[in-house]
Amino acid sequence: MQTPSKKAGWAPRSLMLLMMVYLLLPLLATMIYAFAKEWQATILPESWTLEWFGGMFQDARFLDALWKSLYLCAISIVLSLAVMLPAVFIITVYLPRLESFMKGIVVLPYAVPGVVAAVGLIRAYSSGPMNISGTAYILIGAYFIIVLPYMYQGIRNSLLTVSAPELLNAAEMLGAGRMRAFVTVILPNIWPGVVTSTLLSFSVLFGEFVMTNMLVGGHIQTIQVYLSRRMNESGHLASAIAISYFLFILALSMILMKLGKKVNRGISE
Amino acid sequence: MKPYLKLEGIRKQFGTTTVLNQVNLDIREGELVTLLGPSGCGKSTLLRCIAGLTEIDEGQIWLDDKDIVNLPPRSREIGMVFQSYALFPNLTVRENIEYGMRMRGAAKEARRQRSDELLELIDLADKRDAYPAQLSGGQQQRVALARSLAVRPKVLLLDEPLSALDAKIRKNLRMEIREIQKQFNMTTIFVTHDQEEALTLSDRVCLMNQGNIVQQGTPEELYAKPSTEFVARFMGSYNVLTRAEALRLFGAVPGDGESYAIRPEALTLVGQDQETDLGHAGKPIVEGTVHSASILGNVIRYAIDAAGIRLTVDALNDGRSRRLEENRKVALAFDLAQLLQLEKEGA
Amino acid sequence: MKRKNRWYLLGLLPFVVMVALFQLVPIVSMLTGSVRPEDGAGMTFGYYARIFQSDYYLKAIQNSLLISVFSSVIGIVVGLACAYSVTRFAPRMRDRLIMVSNMTSNFAGVPLAFAYIILLGSNGVFTLLFKQWGWDVFAGFNLYSWSGLVLVYVYFQVPLALLLLYPSFYGIREQWKEAASLLGASHWQFWRTIGIPVLMPAVFGTLGILFANSMGAYATAYALVGSNFNLLAVRIGNLVSGDVVTEPQLGNALAVILGLSTLLAVYLNHKMTQRLHRFQPGSAERKVRSRRKWSRLKSPALKEEL
Repeated sequence: MQTPSKKAGWAPRSLMLLMMVYLLLPLLATMIYAFAKEWQATILPESWTLEWFGGMFQDARFLDALWKSLYLCAISIVLSLAVMLPAVFIITVYLPRLESFMKGIVVLPYAVPGVVAAVGLIRAYSSGPMNISGTAYILIGAYFIIVLPYMYQGIRNSLLTVSAPELLNAAEMLGAGRMRAFVTVILPNIWPGVVTSTLLSFSVLFGEFVMTNMLVGGHIQTIQVYLSRRMNESGHLASAIAISYFLFILALSMILMKLGKKVNRGISE
Repeated sequence: MKPYLKLEGIRKQFGTTTVLNQVNLDIREGELVTLLGPSGCGKSTLLRCIAGLTEIDEGQIWLDDKDIVNLPPRSREIGMVFQSYALFPNLTVRENIEYGMRMRGAAKEARRQRSDELLELIDLADKRDAYPAQLSGGQQQRVALARSLAVRPKVLLLDEPLSALDAKIRKNLRMEIREIQKQFNMTTIFVTHDQEEALTLSDRVCLMNQGNIVQQGTPEELYAKPSTEFVARFMGSYNVLTRAEALRLFGAVPGDGESYAIRPEALTLVGQDQETDLGHAGKPIVEGTVHSASILGNVIRYAIDAAGIRLTVDALNDGRSRRLEENRKVALAFDLAQLLQLEKEGA
Repeated sequence: MKRKNRWYLLGLLPFVVMVALFQLVPIVSMLTGSVRPEDGAGMTFGYYARIFQSDYYLKAIQNSLLISVFSSVIGIVVGLACAYSVTRFAPRMRDRLIMVSNMTSNFAGVPLAFAYIILLGSNGVFTLLFKQWGWDVFAGFNLYSWSGLVLVYVYFQVPLALLLLYPSFYGIREQWKEAASLLGASHWQFWRTIGIPVLMPAVFGTLGILFANSMGAYATAYALVGSNFNLLAVRIGNLVSGDVVTEPQLGNALAVILGLSTLLAVYLNHKMTQRLHRFQPGSAERKVRSRRKWSRLKSPALKEEL
């Protein structure tokens, strides 16, 4: 009937404090390093500067890498949406018997590490009829598989929570064709869930390194690959990039969280 | 007779809201008392206070001549059944039932024997090795009951034990609970918000509202003589009238109360059936119009407008009388002796 | 259903093609590649035999296993303590704490390795500070070694463990504690007989995920130690797409071994989740909702390393 008043004792408090310090320290260090002119053997740097951030935007290779990351992610996600929306819809609504099979397919990217997946891709497409290794095509294909679990679960859950099969029946009984019903009734209702999985997928792909480095590392530099190459040259510049990247992802997850709350409020209770 | 469980001046506040306001209650050994009331009236909190799960701000609790206020729950010798069963999911039915004995260090054979007995009693012997998740709601609740009985508590507390179940199972299970309670002569407090449940089950009903026990008595007393408007409304479909309304309807009223109540079956439709009409010969009569009628099994319940007041009137559905159509003019016979004068709220 | 035309199945075609091309074909190709001799005919287990006879590769496997076991166990212990602590806070504070750990779980891979280099690398701020202050406790510590890797791995394991575990603490209902206390159980007895057993499937399941996560971790190790430290994932990367690709077939065989180990770990997680469902049967709807939560929590953390 009533919840007991929650006040954390000293043990949970100090433990969480320790953990927060542990988790935030590397972030903080990177941040300070990005703003520091010189930082050695002192707790805080002696002088500050914005030149690293400035340098970042003057670096043509950085801008190029950023642009490549953005458009590769965007293309992969658009492709994924175009393929997954109809597929998940058909399976959830018309072929629910295939769901357990789908779950197996979708969980594979979780279970197979990127390194392993990359090995398979490289062997399969380095020769023969589809020689696409080292190109953007193989990367987009790999990206498609990486976001498969997020897209599948996101779309499927939205479909189930809006009771798509019932909605569809209702629409069809009112005389709407199947295609029309999908576009006018289902899509608008699952939209928030789809946006959420899209953003999530985006942040996943933006941070992807393993596959990118192994599949196309020598030919296409995304932001992560670029970062790993620059790390040893200029630490400060690398920090600036890392922090900017992190802030970008942070903003994305904030939006995600807000959306998630909204979506959840919409469905539950 | 000396009370077995005695509550005196129990007070409990959550923040600034008073949940229990000086509650006093005496319960005899072997008695089944129901705490009845709308949600938020404090009945569950009172139960939790007795169990020791919620600390009280003020007051005293005596159980079998022992002050138990400062005892932790596990030393109070009180059993409790929760609305959500609260069975331990990782233990089988038998392990659940034996849990209390295990915690008290009972020997394995003694535990076995007792749990076999109880499994027989709740008729779930064939499910002894099942996990709670494999049982239906009703079965789970029977296991929860057996689990709390296993340690032979002095008092059994039941916190809305039936409200998560289907209507049919609910009715069966409440008879079962009553039988087991009588068989063990178990002092029991039963919390519910369902007045029918309270009336069918209890030796005594305590109706609670806003942290107070507003009226207590046998089910018959509570039903026949509600003391306040709240009780009258909660106990049944009483017609509650202001003094002015009662005067308008009946011409004269007993006493000088501000409000009155009359049961729906105390108003009789006349002019339907000569035999029953005879019984009402000479009684005063009020004219009215039928607004609507609904059949509740053996009773037809009418809403009748009379003197600008909508009244609920029950007529026996015995096959002789037909349901009256809407807007029909009718006459109502009444007996002023059946008109109850109500006390002011909170008096 | 029968009479309806089935043209809508066409909508599945692109999906089937994409999954076949980029998921199934590569896996099959890798499997066949690991047993096909260099001349291209017949079948051989020679690569596996070589791996298991080579100290070098055995060492890589051993290192990976050890680091994964260590970082997962540390991760789960710390994660459990943190998860319990988190549930002790009021909802507002709890959500903030969860948000921070969720946020830092985005901070993995290359940037994370980099941050640790800044802090504890050979010219790291703390390294120099400690040297200056004369603290020699850390003198033996080397970020680019085994202990350094464990430290960094633990960093991304802890938030993941926390995120995966804390919901299961809410699975332990307050009323179980109350029922147990009325039945005579002490606080400790309750945890021993009910609380911990109920948590166990989640703990083992999470352990499986953590293990798979660190077995497959490549980015962090690559950025931190490059090829200087002998790890399975890094070894595979070098064999297949290094600067000088020497023996891709050997890479295939190693990848199969790595894939099997993570599959096994994820399978453990799957089994444990089923176990959990035995405890918590619910309406289908509730399952969907909890899964949605599950997936949302799981995803941001998993993405980088798996």
